[in-house]
Amino acid sequence: MAQDFRRGAVVGAPIVLGYFPIAFSFGVAATKAGLSSTEAVVMSLLMYSGAAQFMAIALIAAGAGFWISVATLVGMSLRHVLYGPSLLRAGGQSVPPKGALAWGFGLTDEVFGAGLGAFARGQAFTGGFIWGLALVSYAAWVGGTAVGALAGAGALAAWPSVDAGLSFMLTALFLALLLSIMQRAELPVIGAALVGTVGLSFAVSPTAGIMGGMILGALVGTVLGRRDAV
Amino acid sequence: MRYEIFALIAVVGAFVWAFRALPMRLDMAKMPEKGALARFFAATGVAAIATLFAASMLPEFASGRALPALLGSAAVLAVYLPSRSVVLATLAGAAAYGAGFAFLA
Repeated sequence: MAQDFRRGAVVGAPIVLGYFPIAFSFGVAATKAGLSSTEAVVMSLLMYSGAAQFMAIALIAAGAGFWISVATLVGMSLRHVLYGPSLLRAGGQSVPPKGALAWGFGLTDEVFGAGLGAFARGQAFTGGFIWGLALVSYAAWVGGTAVGALAGAGALAAWPSVDAGLSFMLTALFLALLLSIMQRAELPVIGAALVGTVGLSFAVSPTAGIMGGMILGALVGTVLGRRDAV
Repeated sequence: MRYEIFALIAVVGAFVWAFRALPMRLDMAKMPEKGALARFFAATGVAAIATLFAASMLPEFASGRALPALLGSAAVLAVYLPSRSVVLATLAGAAAYGAGFAFLA
């Protein structure tokens, strides 16, 4: 158990490197938008969803209504519905390791991607592993938010290039995770996901682009998988 | 802490938890190995990460930061392919983006 936990924590290292600075930026942005440091940290503790949190502070700063804000933020998070079953599938499990109602909250985009990569490399889907992966990521997110919120609104003003580099950390992490899990046979899935995301983002909204791109890519994979299975 | 802020965080947080944790209570053992749903979930992983990468890149193009974003992406590829290290590739991508941003500025 302890060894698996350490393995999960090691697999989570790139997420920690990405999360801490992004969460720091979130803490800074939240205080800039008028939230207290307590409000920023509680948001990271209970919502734990980067894109939704940045959107939340924009909605709060703009004075958006409560239910409009809820609907927007819930819609942005809907994609997570697919992650748990997909991760179980990739890890060769029919039921999740114990405590899924607790560690399941930690299934962010990056934890999901890192888990997929680890399972593709032969890592077993154990409770210790997923707890290690989820907990270090969560700690980095909440810790980074706290440091950023306490540093205050002007913390990165003197270093615009560093601020810019940090803002690209998650994008770089997504690309690196994609490279770590992709196989040649999955190129049509990736192509469909990219086309669906770009098309729907321009035609409807960025949220629709994320959900639609993901589903379109998965549907292409479903059809290709049937052809391969015949 | 203001009540309306806490209420928003609590309600959205509850939905996030439900979306992430509850679908794993589906009985996957009953799902046929080669069934459509199984293939769908198997393909979701790579589709999701590709989607998130594309969705992260789009605002860069829209806000005039295409050059730093392309430099950052090229650096991820250049470092990942020989090293196979997600950590090094991520750091290289962020550093290249920051350098590209400084160059443009």
